[in-house]
Amino acid sequence: MASPVTATVGGTARPGGGLFRLLKLWTDPVIRVFVGGVDTARRIGAFTLISLGVLATKFGKSPRVIRPLVQQQILRAGVNVLPIVCFLGVALGVVIVGQTVLLLMQVGQEKLMGPLLVTVVVRELAPLTAALVVLARVGTAAVTELGTLRAVGEVEALEALGIDPIHYLVVPRLIGFTVSIVCLTVYMILFALVAGYVVAFLQGLSMGPAAFFRVIADGLSWVDFPLLALKTLGFGILTSQIICYHGLAEPLRLEDLGRATTRTVAHTLVASLLVDAVFLPVYLLI
Amino acid sequence: MAAPVIQMTDVTVVHSRAPGVPLVTGVNWRVEEGECWVVTGLQGSGKTALIETAAGLHPYPAGEVQVFGQRVHGTEGEGLEDVRRRVGVVFDGHGRLFGSQTVLENVALPLCYHRNRSWEEVGEEVMGLLQLMGLETLAGQLAGRLGRAWAHRVALARALVQRPGLLLVDNPLTGMDPYHARWWRGFLGRLLVGLPELGGVPMSLVLATNEPRALLGLGRKFAVTHAGRWRCMGDRQEFERCEDPELRGLLYDED
Repeated sequence: MASPVTATVGGTARPGGGLFRLLKLWTDPVIRVFVGGVDTARRIGAFTLISLGVLATKFGKSPRVIRPLVQQQILRAGVNVLPIVCFLGVALGVVIVGQTVLLLMQVGQEKLMGPLLVTVVVRELAPLTAALVVLARVGTAAVTELGTLRAVGEVEALEALGIDPIHYLVVPRLIGFTVSIVCLTVYMILFALVAGYVVAFLQGLSMGPAAFFRVIADGLSWVDFPLLALKTLGFGILTSQIICYHGLAEPLRLEDLGRATTRTVAHTLVASLLVDAVFLPVYLLI
Repeated sequence: MAAPVIQMTDVTVVHSRAPGVPLVTGVNWRVEEGECWVVTGLQGSGKTALIETAAGLHPYPAGEVQVFGQRVHGTEGEGLEDVRRRVGVVFDGHGRLFGSQTVLENVALPLCYHRNRSWEEVGEEVMGLLQLMGLETLAGQLAGRLGRAWAHRVALARALVQRPGLLLVDNPLTGMDPYHARWWRGFLGRLLVGLPELGGVPMSLVLATNEPRALLGLGRKFAVTHAGRWRCMGDRQEFERCEDPELRGLLYDED
């Protein structure tokens, strides 16, 4: 910390020093947050590369141990989350699809229904919502679980047995979370569109279900399928890796777990929105 | 001539959670096949960190550690997994068992993982080991619910299931009642001469303890971590003759 003497000298020696200090006071926290964010992104990136490397090099190793762990993660992050995803899909359909369809009918722009619903539901809301539901429902618990393993030394115990903790703890979550988010996104899209159609039909939409879904299909481009797959894969990989990074990568004490969980949620939200932003220019070009 | 089981040259041992804090410096140590070392010192003097360094679980800032002739440096180094499989580690306290798994699953995990077998396929072999160690009735219990003495014994079973050539045990007798302490001394003695059920090969043992008196009869060589320094004390007679008042305080209950 600068002593009062140096501060005074610095203040009088430089013209406009007060303004400079004020500016510094405003910019310093921003710079600190930015540098901290970049550093965290770099660490999570390195962790992800290590995990993907282990996945590639140990792909066929010990399938009788790893496969049940993957199934367990799919059960936790996929099957058990399915009811809430279906519910949210229906809610999304009622609120977004139903209203949008009715609004477009009122202004006589039914032809925009396909592109609009594809953009809002298929490309944007469904993948993001599925990823965030998995984060909220399973991710926070997973950080606590992994962090506890690290804090009580079970990770070192695995290493002592010659078992790679990345292979045993991270790879099943990487596969399980990614598969789950991809599948849950598909369910969410289906439920949102069906519920949306039902609401719109009940409010006077003069279109059969086949015609409605043909309009949606017309709004889809073939590029949407690989892009949706890539986006949900990105969400799955990032979500699982941020969770595992905060649970495992740094030595934790039990009292640090709460903070690690909060950071996981914040980082996953930011990372998901960044992934979304990466896809934006591609969608604009379609 | 076979490579020494452990060879440490000018090693600095650091704290696992504070890599910048040296706990023991200048460790020059050679453990030969079939030897039983008792490493003692006051609590917090770096015994656990030393054991974990020897097991290839800690990086160290200076020196060189070789285990079975293979250089290990924490998480780095080729063939580290193979070295770790040849070294059994029994951690302090509850032995760092996987609390959400049963005793059988804890002990079977390394076999299942390295041999790619299901729990059922290795069940017979693991039950044999559990019977040998008087743990068969606990096989179905969750490891997290075991008392300290039994958990420590399960940790020993888990360390032995891969038939290691070197066994590192952290505080084997701390907090044990006389029944368990007697069992541990007897079992470690049998490992030292070679248990027929584990192949009959004499095992090298390193026992870290802050109560060396209980292991005087078992140890062949003694070493001390004290005031940040490493001292090989020689055999039992030499160890008992040491003049350092703090070390004598470890051995004798005298003022």
